[in-house]
Amino acid sequence: MKRLFIVLFVFTIVKTQAQVDRTQMPEPGPAPEINLKDAQRFELDNGLKVLVVENHKLPRVSAQLTIDNNPIAEGDKAGVASLLSSLLGNGSKNISKDEFNEEIDFLGARLSFGSQSAFASSLSKYFPRVLELMADAAINPNFTEEEFEKEKTKIITGLKSEEKDVKAISSRVQRALAYGAKHPYGEFTTEETVNNVKLADVRNFYDSYFAPTNAYLIIIGDINFEEAKELVEKNFKPWTKRTVPSFGYSTPKDVQYTQINFVDVPNAVQSEITVENLVNLKMSDPDYLAALVANQILGGGGEARLFLNLREDKGYTYGSYSSIGNDKYAPSRFRAFASVRNAVTDSSVVEILNEIDKITSKPVTEEELKNTKAKYIGNFVLALERPETIAQYALNIETENLQKDFYKTYLEKINAITVEDVQKAAQKYFSSKNARIVVVGKGSEVLENLEKTKFNGKELSIFYYDKYANKVDKPDYSAETPTDVTAAQVLENYFKAIGGKDKLKDVSSVYMLAEAAFNGATLGLVSKVTTKNQSLIEVSFGGMTAQKIVFDGTQGYVMAQGQRMDYDEKQIEAAKAEAHPFAELKVENPTLEKVEPYEGGKAYAVKLSDKKTAYFDTESGLKVKETTVQEQQGQKITVTTNYSDYQEVKGIKFPFTITQALGPQNIDFKVKEIKINEGVSDEDFK
Amino acid sequence: MRIKIYTIALGLLLSFIGQAQEVEYTEYDLDNGLHVILHQDNTAPVVTTSVMYHVGGKDRTEGRTGFAHFFEHLLFEGTKNIERGKWFEIVSSNGGQNNANTSQDRTYYYEVFPSNNLELGLWMESERMLHPVIDQTGVDTQQEVVKEEKRLRYDNSPYGQFLPVLGKNLFDKHPYKDPNIGYMKDLDAATLEDVKAYNKKYYVPNNAVLVVAGDIDIEKTKKMIKDYFGPIPKGEDIVRKYPVEKPITTQRTATAYDPNIQIPATGLAYRTPGFKQRDSYVLQMISTYLSDGKSSKLYKKMVDEQKQALQVGAFSIPQEDYGMYLVFAIPLNNTDLGTLISEMEEEVAKVRTELISERDYQKLQNKFENNFVNSNSSVQGIASSLATNYLLYGDTSLINEEIEIYRSITREEIKKVAEKYLKPNQSVIINYLPGEKPAN
Repeated sequence: MKRLFIVLFVFTIVKTQAQVDRTQMPEPGPAPEINLKDAQRFELDNGLKVLVVENHKLPRVSAQLTIDNNPIAEGDKAGVASLLSSLLGNGSKNISKDEFNEEIDFLGARLSFGSQSAFASSLSKYFPRVLELMADAAINPNFTEEEFEKEKTKIITGLKSEEKDVKAISSRVQRALAYGAKHPYGEFTTEETVNNVKLADVRNFYDSYFAPTNAYLIIIGDINFEEAKELVEKNFKPWTKRTVPSFGYSTPKDVQYTQINFVDVPNAVQSEITVENLVNLKMSDPDYLAALVANQILGGGGEARLFLNLREDKGYTYGSYSSIGNDKYAPSRFRAFASVRNAVTDSSVVEILNEIDKITSKPVTEEELKNTKAKYIGNFVLALERPETIAQYALNIETENLQKDFYKTYLEKINAITVEDVQKAAQKYFSSKNARIVVVGKGSEVLENLEKTKFNGKELSIFYYDKYANKVDKPDYSAETPTDVTAAQVLENYFKAIGGKDKLKDVSSVYMLAEAAFNGATLGLVSKVTTKNQSLIEVSFGGMTAQKIVFDGTQGYVMAQGQRMDYDEKQIEAAKAEAHPFAELKVENPTLEKVEPYEGGKAYAVKLSDKKTAYFDTESGLKVKETTVQEQQGQKITVTTNYSDYQEVKGIKFPFTITQALGPQNIDFKVKEIKINEGVSDEDFK
Repeated sequence: MRIKIYTIALGLLLSFIGQAQEVEYTEYDLDNGLHVILHQDNTAPVVTTSVMYHVGGKDRTEGRTGFAHFFEHLLFEGTKNIERGKWFEIVSSNGGQNNANTSQDRTYYYEVFPSNNLELGLWMESERMLHPVIDQTGVDTQQEVVKEEKRLRYDNSPYGQFLPVLGKNLFDKHPYKDPNIGYMKDLDAATLEDVKAYNKKYYVPNNAVLVVAGDIDIEKTKKMIKDYFGPIPKGEDIVRKYPVEKPITTQRTATAYDPNIQIPATGLAYRTPGFKQRDSYVLQMISTYLSDGKSSKLYKKMVDEQKQALQVGAFSIPQEDYGMYLVFAIPLNNTDLGTLISEMEEEVAKVRTELISERDYQKLQNKFENNFVNSNSSVQGIASSLATNYLLYGDTSLINEEIEIYRSITREEIKKVAEKYLKPNQSVIINYLPGEKPAN
């Protein structure tokens, strides 16, 4: 009878909807019922708390261990936690590293460790053994000097590779300034602090903090509660209970007034802008969800205001977003950020501040709120598909001190949020008045405008920091032209410094051979230049000629990868002006631009031509740097060459180290040989 | 300890025939040729609606590269009944998520919604198939957007050029030689007429599969599908005939540059058979053998023991007509690239000349079983596999039976396949270096 009824019911539906009207967007059906299951829970005597979420859909199980300790300051041994995470999971006192790795792979399992966490997953049939291996590696780690040294090298290589990384610098400075470099959330790892770490420190960190006291183990998947309990008890009982040290830290504070904190990174092609302030927000706060919604509307994605303004409207950036954290131990941060091209750095700062100002001073629209709620509700429903969600919710309820029904009433809470709630949260947590605007970028190009940046009618103060958040003086690009010296004098001093004009006049040709180590092969450079305007540059890679640039005084060409390209008019003209052993001798109208700091001191910048500027040390008079603007496929690229290690050859000083910046890395050419007036013939320039 | 491991291994062998999770599905054709696959799973109130079109980067004429990917963008512009620029807003304000992606062989569009919005998902995909709005404004806008995407993904992203470099060096004639995203000049040259003709040819029901998976009622869903997709007219049959490549018989070296990296990479690249071939499955196993996990041959030797590589990997890049296979490494401590190549070749050579051990064979089987179980863990993943298996592999049932192919592969077969495709004279050495390409 019941079945018949259903058939009839379906039939009626078919009847009434025989035709669909596709010009109308279909309305949603009745909201699906949400069935939020609870996790099961037990605790071991050593303090380990275990949450189990049974899900038998697939024959697999995972185990996530999380240790919820207070924040830990690593101090002058920063990096010790990171080293611990690399050293864990490499076998145990009972099983060698190789056997351990072999068995994990053999079982088709995954296993990984953090400094205060671990994760394992496998098919259910192998899970008992995988959990046993995980527990053994966690409880009885075998720290060896060999592994320790290897991981240390890896960390240091990693640090080196991101030395010039604007994003990495920005992230470090943001945290250090917001919290102070001694706070656990503000400190950072350097090569020096990594080198301070000894294996004993790693062991010590492990002994102190890798303890069951504040630990949670979450088991999810195709396993019965009783089975899980038995397995956990068997494997984690030996984990000794101990008291975890806990320290207090000074509470960080926001700045008194909104200001720019600038870090100069000369290689930057984009500025990283982050507007940040501290927030005291916990998940258990009544306005937690309203704060998330406010952030979502401001900068939560492609439909949010920051994105629509800075990208869609202004085209300053590929994307601009905001984020708000929550933390029960210390303040977290609200951040609004974008990577923008240099020229619009100041304008972007203003637009980001405007958006923060707007969301705090004016209510959001009903439409924005409605769409944002729908998005949150959708995300909540979609997340239910993953059993991990239920486990995460259960863990949050425990560790974040939430009401037991926090997630069961989540949708009601989202739906109840009003426009006023959003504005209140925005006012409480987003600040345009006590914000740090951390800008990391190329000072020589962005500072001039940044200094004039006004927000709400007031100029923003700028404070300067180095890459490690130490306060420094304003970088000196003093655009003022030095008055005590002229361009001609600077050049004269240079000629004097390298041996005197008389000596230079006797030089008719210079042959130079230089080499650089590059990606495991040798990059060779041969250059021959004469006073007859002839020049040859030959670059070889691994012994093979890669490129040849030849100019015979009237004609020139480039050979690369077997292809010859002849010089055009412009190139011929440029080559005529350039091709000389000491091109500066031929410069006609040099202009002295400014005094600029460089790695070795200060240098006079002398503009030699439209495209070329040379830098001469104010003390020694020697040429230390040269920048040339090149056009490549319609784009202007500045190529920088540094000169150092001057050595005498027949009474004339030549730089023996020539450094060329190539993308983020430098190539150091070491000069092997220089010959004056020999080793060069007209034949070379054919 | 040895004894202990041995006993465990025995235990594993006995329990080898694990309980596989059967994915149930219904499939049928509409009159217009649209193939439909339904998979019901009511465990969570979530539904995926997806359409896979059998059109990808390779489906183009010379001088019109990147068309399929460009189309992926165009088909979000709007339809007769969906206003231009509203697509994403409709999805997100109804609690859904959506995206699309294009490979050399196919294009895949999908939405995931709370299940009460099933009809909305079907309406949107049917709108896209029936009458997308393709006009000059859309073409102009998306040309710019695709260029930004190219800059972000390829030109400005570390190691982003590796895949295009592989294609360029492994193919002479077949369209796989060109990047999937296309050349900018080809996109710029695209006229509205070209674009419309392309749409008419490929984006038709008889060249597509619709998958609906998740919290659905099969009968009601069938009805809705008929209502929304039934009226879409059938297109012409599509004939694909792409050039056949001559085998690679001598080793070459190619060099490519990437200004976004600080550390170079080097690799051995091989051309392999299309993904429907049994040998392609064997090659997948060889990749896993070589580089998956800390105990894998390449990782253990080059990263762990000899500390020559920061990273090492063997990848099979499966494609419909031919696959690409890459064994690559990133050096640690300035290890010479040539050294890395010979270390890698040494391990590949062992696969060609020796049988892998019984234990390693068993390890592979365990790993593939684990992958198999995990591959069906989300409804969205199942939808994508069902579409792929039907449209590209011609066999929907692979969703449950693919594991049987792996189980049937023997140690002898692994050796034979390595010998057939992975010899040094069949490879191209690719040196991928930091920096700009030397100026011409």
